[in-house]
Parts: sequence; C-alpha cells; structure tokens
Amino acid sequence: MKKIKGTPLRVSGSALVAISLGMFASSGVALADGGGGASGLLVSALLILSIGTIMFGASSVSDRADTPVALASVAWSWLAVSIAGALPFLMTGSIPWAHFDDALFESISGFTCTGSTIFSDIEAVPRGVLFFRSMIQWFGGMGLIVLAVAVLPALKIGGLELIANEAPGPTADRLTPKVTDTARRLWLLYGGITLAMIAALMVVGLSPYDAATHAFTTVATGGFSPYNASIAHFDSLLVEFIIIAGMIFCGANFSLHWYAFKNGPKAYHRVSELRWYLGLIVGSTFILIWLNFGNLSLGRNIRESFFYTVSLGTSTGFGTSDFTIWAPAAQVVLLTLMIVGGMTGSTAGGMKILRLQILVRYSFREIVRARHPKAVVPIRMGAVSIDEQIAAKAVGFILLYMGLIVLGGLTLAGLGVEPVTAFSGAVSAIGNAGPGLGEAGPVSDFLVFPRLGRVIIMFLMMFGRLEVFPMMLMFVAFARAVSRSRHTIRQ
Amino acid sequence: MTPRPSRGRPSLGRLKIRITKSLHVVKLAVRGYSNGRVESVGAVTVGTVALCVWPMFMVCALFDSARGGSVWLELSVVGTTSAVIGLFILRYARVPKYLSTARLFRALASGTLASLGIVMVGLLATGATGSITLALVEAASTITGTNASTIDISKIEPGVMLLRALGQWIAGAALIVILVRVLPHLGVGGLDADGGVATRSARRLSPKSSGTVFRLLLLYVMLTALIGVGYAAAGMPLVDSAMHALTTISTGGFSTQLGSIGAYQSGPIEWVAVGGMFIAGISLPLIFLAIRRKDPKRFWRSYEFRFYSLVVLAAASFVAIFARQPLTLDIVRSSLFKVTSAASTTGYIDSASDLRSAGGQSLVIIVMLIGGMSASMTGGFKVMRLLAISSYIGRELKRVIHPTAVLPIRVGHSSIGQTAFSRIVGEIFLSLLVLIPGALILTNGGLDLEGAFSFALSCLSNFGPAFGGAAQINHLSELSGIGQIFSAGLMVVGRISITPVLVVLAFITEPLARTLRRKSFGRRKMAVR
Repeated sequence: MKKIKGTPLRVSGSALVAISLGMFASSGVALADGGGGASGLLVSALLILSIGTIMFGASSVSDRADTPVALASVAWSWLAVSIAGALPFLMTGSIPWAHFDDALFESISGFTCTGSTIFSDIEAVPRGVLFFRSMIQWFGGMGLIVLAVAVLPALKIGGLELIANEAPGPTADRLTPKVTDTARRLWLLYGGITLAMIAALMVVGLSPYDAATHAFTTVATGGFSPYNASIAHFDSLLVEFIIIAGMIFCGANFSLHWYAFKNGPKAYHRVSELRWYLGLIVGSTFILIWLNFGNLSLGRNIRESFFYTVSLGTSTGFGTSDFTIWAPAAQVVLLTLMIVGGMTGSTAGGMKILRLQILVRYSFREIVRARHPKAVVPIRMGAVSIDEQIAAKAVGFILLYMGLIVLGGLTLAGLGVEPVTAFSGAVSAIGNAGPGLGEAGPVSDFLVFPRLGRVIIMFLMMFGRLEVFPMMLMFVAFARAVSRSRHTIRQ
Repeated sequence: MTPRPSRGRPSLGRLKIRITKSLHVVKLAVRGYSNGRVESVGAVTVGTVALCVWPMFMVCALFDSARGGSVWLELSVVGTTSAVIGLFILRYARVPKYLSTARLFRALASGTLASLGIVMVGLLATGATGSITLALVEAASTITGTNASTIDISKIEPGVMLLRALGQWIAGAALIVILVRVLPHLGVGGLDADGGVATRSARRLSPKSSGTVFRLLLLYVMLTALIGVGYAAAGMPLVDSAMHALTTISTGGFSTQLGSIGAYQSGPIEWVAVGGMFIAGISLPLIFLAIRRKDPKRFWRSYEFRFYSLVVLAAASFVAIFARQPLTLDIVRSSLFKVTSAASTTGYIDSASDLRSAGGQSLVIIVMLIGGMSASMTGGFKVMRLLAISSYIGRELKRVIHPTAVLPIRVGHSSIGQTAFSRIVGEIFLSLLVLIPGALILTNGGLDLEGAFSFALSCLSNFGPAFGGAAQINHLSELSGIGQIFSAGLMVVGRISITPVLVVLAFITEPLARTLRRKSFGRRKMAVR
C-alpha cells in the first residue's frame, strides 16, 4: 500500500491513539464507579483508536521538514484531538447531539488547558465522563510542554527562541533529531509530578478519584474540577496549599525543572524570569490582600488572595469563592494577572513573563533613548543582552495578542454581551485562564455567552494556546495549498 | 523697476510677512528681556506661558462684564498677576545657549504644568469649582481638550464659560506650535523627522518652521470661523456657535449647554457638528496643502485619510447595526455623531441616547483609542500609528515563514524606520503601564470596573465621556481626591504623551536605577538570562 506523505496526518494519528487510551481508562473508571457512561466512553475509544491507527498507518513523514510543515502538524493535530475529545460527551449523552458545538467547546477548553465550562451543573455528569474531562487537560498539558519547550522555540515563534538559546535543560536546537528525546524526558517529569500530586492529595484525605482528577488539571494548569464549587468543595486549607504549590510549580519552565532535577536546585538562581514570576505572585498577593482588607476576614483574605493570585497568574482557573463580588480594584489585578500568565516553557497560558520582561526593557529603553538620542542601549535580560530581532518578534507577538483581545472582546460585545464580561471573557480565553469577570465568573459558566460567541471563544482559546502565530500560519498555509491546487488543476 | 507678478494671494502674503515680522520682534524682545542669571529653559517657558495667558484672561473678563457676569474682576486680577509673575520670571531667567533634548522635554513639561496651574487658579478664584482637586481636573480637561467636567454649566458665569472654551482652543493652537517646532526634535512616539511619518509633511509646508506654524495657525483660525458660521447657519445662537466652534476644532468638547450639542434637539446642528468633528480629525497640513494646491484628490491620495474615513464609516455602520433598530436618517446621524465624536476625541453628546448597546459602547471606546489622523488636534493613538503597527504585525507573520527576509514596515507607499517604530511601541506600552494603575486607583476611588476602564481610557485619549459607573454626570465629583488627581494626570499624559513625563521623572529614576544596578550586580553575574 502506498503511504500518503503527510507529517500532519501522521502526528494527528498518533495523538488520536494516545487520546483513545485515555478514553479506555475513563471507561474503566466509569465501570468501577457505576455512575453510567462506560459504554459511551468505550465506543468512542474504539472509534478514535481505529481512526487514529488508520491515519497513523496510512501516512508517512513528509520529505520536507520545514517550519510550515511543523506548524501545520501542531495545529492540525490539536484540532483533531479536540474533535475526538468532543465525542465521549456526545456518546454518553452528557451533551445532546444538537449541541455538538458545546461538546467541542468543552473539549477545546480541555485540550487548551483553559478550564472554561458549559456545564451549569457539573456534578450531574457521570463521573467517568468527568474523569475523562480532567484527563483531556492532562493530555493537553502533555502536548503543551513539548510544544512550549521544544517545538515553538525551535520554530522561533514570538521571541521564544530565547529559551532554546539560553535556558539550560533539554531544549531542541533542531526539531527532528532531538525532539523525541526531549519529549521523553519532559513527559517523565510531567508524569512524576502528577504522581506526586496524586499521592500528596491522597495523603491529606482525598479519594483516589478526587486526587487524580485534581492532580491532572493542576499539573496541566487547566482548572477543570468535577465539582460545581471547584476547590471550595473540600474547604480544606491543606488541599488548597498542595494545589497552590502544584500550580506554582507547573506555571514555571519545565526545562528548568529538569535541569534542577539533574543538577541541583542552584539552577533556579540562574533564570531571571523565575524571579519575575515569583515576584509577580508575591507582589500581587500583597496588593490583593490590601485591596480586600476590610471586605473579608483576615484569614479568609490571605487565603483567597494567595489562591487566586496563583490560580489566575498560572492561568489555571480553580476557584475557592466568587471573586466577581470582590472590590472592582481587586478584579483589575486579577485581569492583569490573566493577561500576563505564567512562565515560558510551562503549561501556563497568557502572554508569558518572558515577554513582559522584554516589553518592560524595550519600553523603558525608549525613555533612555529619548533623553540620550544617540545612545546605543541593549535590551538586557539578567546579565545578557538579547538580540534586537528576538525583541522585535516578542513585541510583534504582544501586539497581535492585544489586537486579538480587542477584536474578540469587540465581537462578543457586538453579539450583545455586557462589555466587562465580553472583554474579560476574551482575555480569559486567549490567556487560557478559565473564568472571566462580570457574569462569567468562577462560579458561573460560559453559557452566558451566546452560541456564536462561544464559537469565537473556541477560536480565541486555540489562538492563545498555540501562541497565535502557528494558528495564523495554519490558515495562511491552508489558503496557499488551496490556491496552489487550483493552479495545478487549471494547468 | 517692474512690479513683481501677482502671486495669487498678495494679501495673504503681506499679512504673513507682517505677522511673522511682529512675532519675530516679540521673540527678540523676549530674548533680550529674559537675560537673567538663571539659565533655565523651563523657567523661560513658564514665564512665557504666564505672560501669554494675559490676553486670554482679559478677553474673558471683557466678555464677562459685557454679558453682565460677576467675575470679571477676578479674571482680570488672575490674568494680570500671572502676567506680572511671568515678567518677573523672565527677568531672572535666560534661554540656555545649548538646547539639549532633555532640556526641551523639561520645557514641554513645565509649560504644560504652568498652564495647568494658571487655569486652575483662575477657576478657583472665580469660585467655579469647590475643591482644589476638582479645579485640577477641570484645568486638565481644559488644557488637554478633554470633555470631562464637574461644573454645572447652567450656573456658571459667562466669563468662566468663555475661559473654558477659549482655553481649549488656545491649547489646540499651542499644540500646533509644539507639533511643528518641538516634537520633531524630540521624536516622541515615533512622530519624529527621520523615518517618522506625521510631522514630515507638517515640517515641509515651508522652508522655515515659523512659516509652517503661521500657515497652520491661519488654517486653524479659518476652520474655526467656518464651523462657527456653520453652527450659526444651522440655527444655534451666535455666542453659543462661537464657543462651540472653538471647542469643535480643538476637539475639546466643552459645551455651553448641560446636554452638550444634544441640548439643542436639532438635526442640522448635529450634522454641522458631525462635519466639524470629522474635519478636526483630519491632519491640518493635509487640509492646508489640499486647499493651497486646489487639489481635493490629495485627500484621497493620503493613505491615512482613506483609513481614517474607513474607520469612521465602518464604525458608524456597526453602531447602527448593533442598535438593532430600523434604519432612519436619525439613526444614521446619531451613529455618525457618536463615532466622529469618538474618532476626533471631541466628546460631544447628541440628543439620541437610545443607541446604547454593548457592542456600540465597546466600538466607541475602540474608535476613541484609535483617534484621528496624526498632526491633527485629536487625542488618542492616531490612525498612522495603528497602520504602522498592523503593517509590523504582517511583517512579523511573513518573517516566520521567511526568517531571513528583510522587509520594511510599510505605511501606504512609504516605509517607516525601526527607530520610529520602537518609539511607537514604547509609547503604547508605557501608556499601558500607566493605564493599569490608573484603573486600579479609579476603581478604588469608587468606580465600577467598566466605568474605571472606560474613563481611564477616555482620559488617556482626551475624549471625556465614559460608560458604566462613569456614565453618570457627577461621577467625577464623587471620585476620591487621589482618583481625581490621577485622572487629571492621565489627561495630561494623553496630551503630551507619556515619554516627556517619564523623561522628566528620569532625573530621579536614572541615578537610582544606576545605583541599584551596581548594587545587584553580584547576583546578576550568575544569571544566564
């Protein structure tokens, strides 16, 4: 049999096979739990497994291995698993077939590690399906760290090659020879952290099911919880503390973690981005405590301020209370955290601390240059100065990112959503945080947006997750391929 | 000797020569007079500003007494005192021989602060505002051309009314001078000469920049007169139309009525306002050249103008669509009014208030952020910079596929330099860095989220009206004192842009940063990035 040469097809096929394994596991959970949904999960698992095997088997790697091919592989496989992930929701009847777009929303929100949900009563959904829902995020995070640490830096997206060039650890300079090696190490680390999280949560008294689902979504900084009240369901300081620690850990660069794991914790000293990251969390916590002072009791205040700083600063989106009833000033801080997000090379979303660093240096350089017009001022990051080209890319990324927020918010508002909800929803979607402000807060769901609005939010989540440029280029490449084929047909 | 052939407009030429000559004489007089010991360009600017407001206050006082007001004495006392102080300062200060960039920045900042202070004192002296912070906000919105007011217009004296309108107009005229004479040397926000876009055309109207200033000011006066005649013809009372003309062309937006332009409940007046605001958003050099060369196609040839019109028309149609009402002429007028008011950052309000929709509000905010064309009187971010940024994003997308390609940042047929572009980017992000604390302080001062963000953006774009909790007429007076001071600061930052403010502050921060860098070097040595 002649194999079709298409890397995107092959990568998508293998991803589908991996997802089907998750579905088998979830159907096992559903069977053990007895809450129903086992057969639906099993049928979708078999279906996805066969499709994935066919796609994987019938294709081979393309001859060319350039940037557009790599980007297309990433974007298309993300799309394929998102569609596949929607299947169990429909098969088990958790979401009616007439609302297949809602199932797709839930799946995309899972694979992009966003955590926005369209279930208004989560606990009514079978536990097997909820387990799968958490697992989706875990898979998403798995794909994500490879994407964030190895693939995107190698493709030099939005200034991310800085990690590739200067960060220690398993980074891929060239995509082909090293990426499997990198991926193996990262997944080892990722799996290890997940196991540690599960163990820690079980030690403080959670059931294996609760511990696993929450560990999955914490490590992926996703934020799905099988309970309506999210983390507040347990109302336990210890659980919150463990989850905060997990979120902080997973919002930081994974290649850095690997390096620290290999060579000792001194590695953490070497990266200025980590200092900014922790500084931002500590600083925002204090600001939030100050702003909430008097509105909440002191203990509650410290606990919730810290939790939400970490939860939104790492774009996880777990909730312990309703922050939309906090003082508006505190919500401004949360919104800023959502925009900035976590570190590069992690599962966190947002615009990333590294880019914020570049941005601050870049902007303040202009003041120095305004005063001393002939001065040559390098853009410093820690002790090294970074290349002008890289800074230009990072700036281009941020501009596009903000443009998309404005465009998305405007479209949502145009559909009749109240402006604060619309713009914070756009920020939350593109930053893969989860909850928004206004009506889309942590205790609410995304059904406040109209149906078309949810489709737009799906796109924003994909754009945000794939660092904007690959998604744009996917469309460009697609348009080019179409025009090329039309050209050939005409000849 | 044969008489020189007629050049078409001999009267204009003669007038120009006469005015430039007299201006030159004034300049020489100031130079000769200000020959004191203290070599400070800031002091000279402050003195000149203090001296120059004298006629303005006198005109206001005359107007007040003619209309039977009761504050003419206060106005003339403030004007005269300021003039005396100005003379005093000028006596002891001297223009430095060498004008470094830092000094120019200082001059710009101190001139702004001086005018802010004088208008503030004037408002306090006439009793138009109660507290000092309210007077500060009021003065800031006067000199920056923002329509954010706390004064109950129906109760104020005619002199104060004129002071507000004239203040906005003169601030606009001062902006022309700054635009042509000062900014090209500073390169603020990418509007500089080498590789910049906007003032390039502004500087080349005549070989000498004083000629350019003269031409633009003349155009400014003529446009004011034109709009005033338009208002009067549409049925507005004569005095009102003069005052509205002053605030329309300067995109200030102060009105003599409580409900702004909408108070007249008149279609024709609103159409005139739409036209006036649209003109106010067009680049002045472009209008000048089009009139001078009798070449209306020049407008169409300008890439920025085409985009500006497109933004206005597209936004207006979307506002009309979002309102979900049958399309009538009233809807068309009202949506055009809202959008031109936002695009030119004037801040007038029309009579129809039923066009409020979530989408329409967001669109108005975004159009206001974009603002008008560069080298116009508008606030906001300016269409040209938006074009530069979108072109840059397109270039970065192309560079992902072709990493080694050398691509210029194109705007229309020309390209802009990297330096100018980084200035534009610096400007946006530094404004953002001000905006977020601003929104934080405004929310802490008592506004809700939507109100705080829209009002902070509105102040930063010198627009004025806002939404949410800031849609109430008295929201500003109920704000906390710090919130009021901060909103005044945002307005000033919006007008003279953030860079001069920060550069002036850099006197303190630069040595501080240097010390900090030295102190923390030990830790940095081991940092990889």
